[in-house]
Amino acid sequence: MSIVIDGLVLGLQLALLSVGMVFVYGLGGILNLAHGEVAVAGGLIAALLLQGGRPPVVACSAGVIASGALAWFIDRTLLRPAYSRHGEERLILALILTLGTSFALDGFFTYRYPNVALTLRLPTTSVDLFGITVRTASLAVGGLALTTFGVLLGFLKSTMLGKAIRCIIQNEAGALLCGVDVDRVRTFTLFLSGLLAGLAAIAQGFFSYLGPDMGAEFTILALIVAVVGGVRSLTGTFLASLLLGLVNTTMSYWVGTYLTWIALLAVTVTTLLVRPQGLLAYWP
Amino acid sequence: MNARPVLSHMLPVLGTGIALAAVPLFVRESGYVLRIATFLLMLATYAVGFNLLFGHTRQLFLCIGVLAGTGAYGSVLLVRNAGLNPVAAIAVAVAIATGLGAFLSYVGVRRGFGVLFVGIVTLAVSLIFQNLVLGLRKYTNGETGIVTQGLGVGLAENPVQAYYILLAVLVAALAVYQEIMGSRHGLALHALSDDEVSAELSGIDVARYKVGVAALAAGFISLVGALFADWNGFISPSLFSVGHVDIPVLIVLLLGGMRTLLGPVVGAIVFTIVDAIVRPFGQLTVLAYGVLLVALFLVFREGTVTLLQRGWEMVQSSTQRGQVGRGVAADEDGDPLSQRTNSRAKSPY
Amino acid sequence: MLEVRELWVGYNDVSVIRGVTLEVPAGEATAVLGPNGSGKTTLFRALVGLLRPRSGSILFEGVPLNGLRPPQVVQRGIVYVAAERELFPQLTVLENLELGAYCCPRAFQSRLELVFELFPRLAERRSQRAGTLSGGEQQMLAIARALMAQPKLLLLDEPSTGLAPLLVAELYRRLEALRREGVTILLAEQQVGAALSLCARVYVLKEGRVAFCGGASSLRGSSELRKAYLGGIGGVGG
Repeated sequence: MSIVIDGLVLGLQLALLSVGMVFVYGLGGILNLAHGEVAVAGGLIAALLLQGGRPPVVACSAGVIASGALAWFIDRTLLRPAYSRHGEERLILALILTLGTSFALDGFFTYRYPNVALTLRLPTTSVDLFGITVRTASLAVGGLALTTFGVLLGFLKSTMLGKAIRCIIQNEAGALLCGVDVDRVRTFTLFLSGLLAGLAAIAQGFFSYLGPDMGAEFTILALIVAVVGGVRSLTGTFLASLLLGLVNTTMSYWVGTYLTWIALLAVTVTTLLVRPQGLLAYWP
Repeated sequence: MNARPVLSHMLPVLGTGIALAAVPLFVRESGYVLRIATFLLMLATYAVGFNLLFGHTRQLFLCIGVLAGTGAYGSVLLVRNAGLNPVAAIAVAVAIATGLGAFLSYVGVRRGFGVLFVGIVTLAVSLIFQNLVLGLRKYTNGETGIVTQGLGVGLAENPVQAYYILLAVLVAALAVYQEIMGSRHGLALHALSDDEVSAELSGIDVARYKVGVAALAAGFISLVGALFADWNGFISPSLFSVGHVDIPVLIVLLLGGMRTLLGPVVGAIVFTIVDAIVRPFGQLTVLAYGVLLVALFLVFREGTVTLLQRGWEMVQSSTQRGQVGRGVAADEDGDPLSQRTNSRAKSPY
Repeated sequence: MLEVRELWVGYNDVSVIRGVTLEVPAGEATAVLGPNGSGKTTLFRALVGLLRPRSGSILFEGVPLNGLRPPQVVQRGIVYVAAERELFPQLTVLENLELGAYCCPRAFQSRLELVFELFPRLAERRSQRAGTLSGGEQQMLAIARALMAQPKLLLLDEPSTGLAPLLVAELYRRLEALRREGVTILLAEQQVGAALSLCARVYVLKEGRVAFCGGASSLRGSSELRKAYLGGIGGVGG
């Protein structure tokens, strides 16, 4: 039972990580392969601040904001040339630019901070909840993720900016004609995706630890979720995250890491072959 | 009648071969430099394959390492565990990898995948391969790797001979490339890299071309992979990871110039020099790769060879007409409306 | 209200609009006629900032628009209804209209009443998804969405495309009503008859240049002129 809960909470963490990537892709046709590195950057900054003796809440908030700022910076600088192109050309340009960025950041982190890792310890390790022993870390991450999603959904449904985001995903040209400043909304979305990625990194700190070399793994995980959930569907992303979280936790427990990875990747490839719009995709 | 055009279009290939053949004469004392030069040949051959895949048929195969690794692990395991003789083992491994390349391409073509999906699928294949090799520890020794001494044709013991064999492979790849591009098929490939639907409508069998090119590229890549296993004396999964093979190959091709004959060679030379400079800094190489990739794609997308060609043309035209040729002004401020209707018109349904 | 002088616009190396000069007086409807490929859509895209002109100037209420991006142009009061309509198919009619008022959300309620008055059909279907509307209703919605932004100048790109003749007539009655309300209209059309019924002033574009300009009556009266500039296209009468 506690495996199921762990799996679901891992799923929530995956959702935090992947929603941003899905958003950015839906909005601009850009698959941000530096997404995982953005998360790691925030986690590392939080870890460094913790080492410097700052209180955990301050350190974590600063880390999350740093992730957002990094994503914003990537948008304002590197992705400019990509946005000025369209269709497949934009896709390829952004793919390779963000791939290069992820390598550059990964190299920098592992070179400069090889031994920095983010670990957040809670005062008690587990609590008893309706007769089930639950790790407090799971509760913390679950609460964090659910609150975040509540706020996110509210923002999308009821604010004008949220509506603008949804309408650009559907019809970029139409949004332009309505007077929506597509460029600015896109930049904001990247910032938002950075914040969410930063939260995912903090969640990782609660679970076990976050090291400087975990960016690539984060990116791949987000990519798998995005593919299985459908690169344009929020509900799909959410469902896929929970499902993959469960599969990941249970399979790692029973058959080991390598096979789990192979299974996850095989699911990804199969999804693309069988239902390229996403196994669990459904809009809105 | 026929011999002259054949010879003249093969001249650059021969010239490259002869120039590179002279390298061991100069570096005979230094085994280290020869090693680097041999590695350069392999990188260039990988890039010729990737050029065919990505440059000419827009198939973003992020599994060059898998194809090379299939050649490497396939040949080594066939000798070690099945007792095949090394040459036969290499042949079988190359055949397997060729089939894999063709299969991946076929799947992509059949499902109508764009660049992105082919990229994701092949990236997933790369990661599956890594985990497979790590997981099948019984056969592959996992991360520890396999010492290949005595399992191959003995390239590790004869570095100069190894150099020439790999040079022969590179020259062969270049010759095949040049032969294809000079023929009717070259025109077809050019058409389909421009616009697949239009190419299809003019009677070009896009699917066959893509799959055929993928098979050919996979063949050369896996052959080099198999030879690498023998030459290096040791293989481990990380030697065939995306970061170790695909990224450098991508950089090499961008550096040299996509869709050019000599781009892969020039790119490999420049890359090798840069790599030799940053290698002592350990983890910084990864950073350097990343920065290189970004910088290249932003400012240098056409590559050295194209740039040199254009420079040469400009010099020629300026000496002939006394004026500098007009640069091509790219329209940067695109129009999403027109572009979208355009792509809509192109989409296959 | 709108003055275009010696405008050159193009894609890559090709100039599509080659030195167009035109004027749209406030409160009137003006038509830009011409066959396919004569540059009507390109002209409109340049006016709303989707394309950057090579040279020439665009003055709106005496202020130059050069270099502004579409959102800023919408803010100034020029709204473009593209021939493709560019609706949000998954959003409801009401949500589409809400986004139309993106740049002036405070005026939403009053505009909505006005738009529903003009297009009662849309009021009936307010919670239906835009993608499920018929072609005529979609065109109405596209125009209604543009009206939500409180346009001073409405650019209509071939609003009659894909509509049955009866619907075209109905559409033009609505446009006539709009014009009477004081909305300035610049209209690109291939259906010459319908356009001439609405517009006082007509420009005929041919290969990116103004081939004729004058009152609608002079074009309507002269069959010679029509034959010369419009060839065989367009409906008869008006």
